[in-house]
Amino acid sequence: MGVAVRAFNVGDTVPPLVKAMTQEAINAFEGSSGRTGPSQFTDEETARHTLGTRGTVASGRMSLSFALELLRRYFGADLFNRSGMVDVRFLRPVRPGDVVTFTGTVTRVAEEANGSRVIVEGAATNQRGETTAVGTGHCVVPRGLLPPEE
Amino acid sequence: MEDTRKLLDWEALAIGESFPSFSYVLTQEMLDEYRKGVMDTEAAFPTIAHKVDVMAYNRAYRDAGSVNARCAFRCYNPPLAGKRITVHAWIADKYRRRGKTYIVTEAVSVDEDGRLLDRVITHELKQPGEVGKKWG
Repeated sequence: MGVAVRAFNVGDTVPPLVKAMTQEAINAFEGSSGRTGPSQFTDEETARHTLGTRGTVASGRMSLSFALELLRRYFGADLFNRSGMVDVRFLRPVRPGDVVTFTGTVTRVAEEANGSRVIVEGAATNQRGETTAVGTGHCVVPRGLLPPEE
Repeated sequence: MEDTRKLLDWEALAIGESFPSFSYVLTQEMLDEYRKGVMDTEAAFPTIAHKVDVMAYNRAYRDAGSVNARCAFRCYNPPLAGKRITVHAWIADKYRRRGKTYIVTEAVSVDEDGRLLDRVITHELKQPGEVGKKWG
């Protein structure tokens, strides 16, 4: 699939991404690397013992994956999967049953030798309106994929 | 079996300490399961779920557990199923904030064809019980 020429401007909003967290999804994520033992993510007793929480929580790396998805959809996989970056701070636990919305806004477009680095600031918010994570990300868009300068 | 890993002494932990490289084969099943977990049929970096930077740390050290406070991920090339991936990981930093101790691990993954895949940097709070105290 080709990559379209398009402009990126400060203030542009990234289409939001909504994720409904389930224990099944958490188990699949944790099990995908071959880990099979109980952990704070998959076992309530381990979570209570290790974290002191009332139940399991999702790994922050799941939110990291969702932040990557948010920006991959925005920039396109061809670009983002080869020059993208995200940096996420986890502020609150995400638990099974939570519905988390990831949003972003372009805050800076910095010219580079061969194109522009488009910087996005974003946040994740749960169904109670609480911020679960904040972060930044960027993608380098080659000059050939940017509209000609006027 | 006896646990021969070193008990973490945060004060003594050396920034720059490298861990032995390790490798694994990324299977199609791993990729499929990762995509199921993140509910994204086009997710390209199942390496995230392998937590390779802290895996390397956990092979060398034992401690009371940890919580991921911050994580950065840089994409270079999506990994391919069937390829062997080699991981190089090290201690990138450590710091103390509001009386809590953190360590920062970093890792790069490279496949058997020499393609640089990704870089991950994780800040881990080494007092995991703080999560329950604050959020329940």
